[in-house]
Amino acid sequence: MILDAAAIAGLYRSHGHVVLRRARTLLGSEADAGEALQEIFTALVRNPDAVRSAGSIVGWLYQATTHHCLNQLRKARTGARVLELHVRPGLSESGGPRGEAAAEVRRLLALLPEEVAAAVVYHHLDGMTHAEVAELLGCSRRQVGYLLERAQGLWDRAEKTA
Amino acid sequence: MNLAATPLSWNACLSSLRLDRWMMGELDAADAETVGTHVSSCAACSAAVAGIRGVREEVRARPLPAALTRPTPRRRLPGAAVAGIGLALAASLVLVLRAPPATERSKGSGLGLAMFVQHGDDVRRAAPGETVFAGDAVRFAVSTPIPAYVAVLSLDPAGRASVYFPQASRAAEVPAGTEVPLPLGTRLDATTGEERLLGIFCASPVELEPIRLGLERGQDGAPLPADCQGLRWSFVKR
Repeated sequence: MILDAAAIAGLYRSHGHVVLRRARTLLGSEADAGEALQEIFTALVRNPDAVRSAGSIVGWLYQATTHHCLNQLRKARTGARVLELHVRPGLSESGGPRGEAAAEVRRLLALLPEEVAAAVVYHHLDGMTHAEVAELLGCSRRQVGYLLERAQGLWDRAEKTA
Repeated sequence: MNLAATPLSWNACLSSLRLDRWMMGELDAADAETVGTHVSSCAACSAAVAGIRGVREEVRARPLPAALTRPTPRRRLPGAAVAGIGLALAASLVLVLRAPPATERSKGSGLGLAMFVQHGDDVRRAAPGETVFAGDAVRFAVSTPIPAYVAVLSLDPAGRASVYFPQASRAAEVPAGTEVPLPLGTRLDATTGEERLLGIFCASPVELEPIRLGLERGQDGAPLPADCQGLRWSFVKR
């Protein structure tokens, strides 16, 4: 199969929502989610071989979106926006305590090691079973349990020191 | 804060990954049916699917990013990559040629061919090998994880090959999705016996006449064009 810009444009139309919906949740900002959508598919044009080892397109897009969004949350620029969201929540939240709590989740996600944060995202924000998380992370279900346990510990500690 | 109960936590029973895979035709037939049955009776999962569909329509209405509208040098992916993104062309072609003749799904590729039959007032989904009757109306639906050029051909019991879909000389583009109904239906003629079906999923709008002729000349297992994958099954007409 030829994977040129036209084919990737087709993928964008058919699968772009998989990226946009999750990026909105993870980033809490319409503008940042739109950027994530563009950047992930633009990167695919530059490097179509990125899907070489993917077992499924949807799974690959989940991995790419999670990686991209966690990076964004870690960047100082986006970190500043997250702080701003405490005051002016993104479109996906209605504001108030719920919006503040959502922004707090994103702030804490940015503090976790990548693999731990990814496990949290997949299990708690996407509702995946340990088996599904293990598939995307390429590890055992037991390791997923360990990562989630570690996440809760780090989370509790970060909340206490906040 | 309990990680399981944050404002961002997922609320449906089935994971977003499973629902996305279901909607994009990546699940095998049995799993897709399980998910479909559950979604139709679960308010939370049904709402989640509606939300996913809403975002999908939104993305489709957006202009394409500039980088996707510029032509780029065409690159051919190796077989492993092709398998990874759904149309497992080379590998699955071998699979198709060696596989049992009746299969409505290509395992792991996300491709599927389903047939719905109307007999009198009763409409049902037909399984491979099932018996149907002359005069029954049939309609096909296909599943594909990415947009593909699709055609459905048949070889009737008298050895005549014909193209059920599309009514054109080349395969027609079908969007990605699960059991996307093809716009044309047909009524089965009076020829009785086993009728073979061949659904093809291609990366380009291939010419159908050579494939139809191949079927008619008894080359049921002949290779398809290089950028196509085939699904074959049959039903019995009485």
